[in-house]
Amino acid sequence: MSRVRAITRAALTQRGVIRHGAAPEAPANGAHVRRLHGSRSALAARILSVEELFSRSSLQGHLRRMEAEYERSLQRVGSAQPEGEDLRSARARLSALTPLVLRARELRVKLKESEETEALLQDGDPDMRDLAEMERDACQGRIQDLKRAILSLLIPAEESDMSDLVLEVTAGVGGQEAMLFTAEVFDMYQNFATFQGWGFDVLEYMPSEIGGLRHASASICGPLSFKKMKFEAGVHRVQRVPKTEKQGRMHTSTMTVAVLPQPTEISFTINPRDLRIETKRASGAGGQHVNTTDSAVRIVHLPTGVVSECQQERSQLKNKETAMKVLRARLYSMRLEEETSKRYQTRKLQIGTKGRSEKIRTYNFSQDRVTDHRIGKTLHNVHGFLLGEELLEEMSVSLLEFSEQETILDIIEDGASDVK
Amino acid sequence: MMLFRPNAILPFIYPKNTGVSRQVLTCAARGVGGSGLTVQQAVMKWQEDFQVSGVAEPELSSQYIVAHVLGLKTLDSLGRRSLVQILSDRQTQRIWELCTQRITRKPVQYVIEEWDFRDLTLKMRPPVFIPRPETEELVRLVLDDLQKQGVGDGLRFLEVGCGSGAISLSLLHSMPQLRGVALDQSQEAVDLTKENAHRLGLSDRLEVLHLDLIKDEDLVLRRCAPVQLLVSNPPYLFTEDMNALAPEVYRFEDHAALDGGQEGMCVIDQILTLASELLSEQGHVYLEVEPRHPPIIRNRLQQRIMGLEYVVTHYDISNRPRFCVLQRR
Repeated sequence: MSRVRAITRAALTQRGVIRHGAAPEAPANGAHVRRLHGSRSALAARILSVEELFSRSSLQGHLRRMEAEYERSLQRVGSAQPEGEDLRSARARLSALTPLVLRARELRVKLKESEETEALLQDGDPDMRDLAEMERDACQGRIQDLKRAILSLLIPAEESDMSDLVLEVTAGVGGQEAMLFTAEVFDMYQNFATFQGWGFDVLEYMPSEIGGLRHASASICGPLSFKKMKFEAGVHRVQRVPKTEKQGRMHTSTMTVAVLPQPTEISFTINPRDLRIETKRASGAGGQHVNTTDSAVRIVHLPTGVVSECQQERSQLKNKETAMKVLRARLYSMRLEEETSKRYQTRKLQIGTKGRSEKIRTYNFSQDRVTDHRIGKTLHNVHGFLLGEELLEEMSVSLLEFSEQETILDIIEDGASDVK
Repeated sequence: MMLFRPNAILPFIYPKNTGVSRQVLTCAARGVGGSGLTVQQAVMKWQEDFQVSGVAEPELSSQYIVAHVLGLKTLDSLGRRSLVQILSDRQTQRIWELCTQRITRKPVQYVIEEWDFRDLTLKMRPPVFIPRPETEELVRLVLDDLQKQGVGDGLRFLEVGCGSGAISLSLLHSMPQLRGVALDQSQEAVDLTKENAHRLGLSDRLEVLHLDLIKDEDLVLRRCAPVQLLVSNPPYLFTEDMNALAPEVYRFEDHAALDGGQEGMCVIDQILTLASELLSEQGHVYLEVEPRHPPIIRNRLQQRIMGLEYVVTHYDISNRPRFCVLQRR
């Protein structure tokens, strides 16, 4: 079972940690999840190239199985025997498999062509050789494109990948120093959003006395924002001598990041009758009777007890809109979590409780490095990383590639074991 | 011997949070250079002073005023550096000036001379009525209905009692195809609405008239009719409730914008009387009212022939029957 899903799940379930405070205990070996993967541990630390993936027999086997299923579906649709449900499912399967199978077939043709051109490269005629070379380059280019396309077709699209998100940061262990670090991480993501050209709206901001941050949330929107940000969810650890430390001792502090997909109005609706909206004006007469500057709004979702508050704006209506946005994101990720756990209930590995309390990344100032523990990747220059530009982008790309690779390996190997 | 360690003395000079002895603060107030009050300390000081003087919402008042002097809307919005940032002498002085006004119970919105209404920041000036959050909901109702109906170009609305212009300007801001007429019996309100319209670049679509719906009935009909929509947050308080208002409201806001007569119906009744003449066919009236008013209004329409139909009552965020929608038959 993949760590990737564990990562994604962490993103989805992080809210649970903060809201309910009753996250199940992490397994004793929670911090060393990679060991759970046994035979995969050697691969886990690095990202495979396209070539390496294609050289795996399991991938070839998976493609063959998909092709065989495609043929069967084709026959079922063509035979006109089946009716109703059966026919519909065969058609659906067929249209789902077609893009993959067509490319797999084209790939086989191109590989053969490439072999043939290879022979021509030995030709005595230099013109012919040039021609063959051009042909071969074109062929290789197309082969690479096809392989990439096939890999991305293997990754199932997740509903939430296209959504915008709500980012939440919360100071963890380490008092004021943790709050200072939380402020730096929040700034990092704000810069990252700018760097990516995404929108970044602060929804809540609860500063500490000395300029740190207890808790904050922001709405981030833009292309691929959730897909890129979802791996940021989890516990981040900082190791350094804090500004507040007089004796020069090194401290270790933590903060937690939650990344909640923001559902669209259409994909997720809330019944207004399930909400209790609280404002300062609720007591007393309201209207023209009262002039207050307290525009805070608190919304309780009665069936779940999930609460969302906003007092960021001077307009009460704006606060209500913001609180609703956060509430929707929280409820939506709870629903996603439910669905995910249903889907994986039958799986052998207990991925459900990992991730939540697991530290995902360490920012070590004295060694000037940032290490992501999930993929074992270390980048140097902590200050550069915290700028939220190229270095964070590099880490983010690695996490995404790694995650996609894990998904592919999962799918092709699950398929292989089903056959056995 | 511990006593001689400088670190041990510091906390007494600058006690945490509430601290900062009066003396230090008084120095700062006089603008003595280098007093070095932080944002946080100034907020705490005035919060306490407000509390002692019985000013409502002491914490928010202090925060909003300090934020305003820093050029911000809220302290939350500016991030972490702000709270420990040292105020300049000019900032400190300005905070002192404004907070001294607040001590007299002058509403924060008048002290900082602005407030937000939906997406807009509006200029506020006494005694012009300060828009309440319920009215944001009234605007949303109107906009929702207009969006559902699909509004053609050139729909014209009338607002009765525009005050600072909050309703009219929000409608115009949200729907570029609208035009409007706003009237108020107070010259100050008319001036403020014009000023806000000008600041927001909306004055070309809004006509603002200094007219009294009751006294200038004929003029109103002649200059405003016909409109497809009439919207109003008329004075709707019962006269007997006026004495129970907080000093912020009673002493600073225009009573003409609040006191609706014995049953709070004076201006509402006049709107009901004129509506069918002001409105074009199928035109709507949207009113914000006192929660006791919807049944009264329904009754009026049943008893008298006014050419109006009661469409629906909407509830505000706190679940009070607050808005009436009527339609010309």
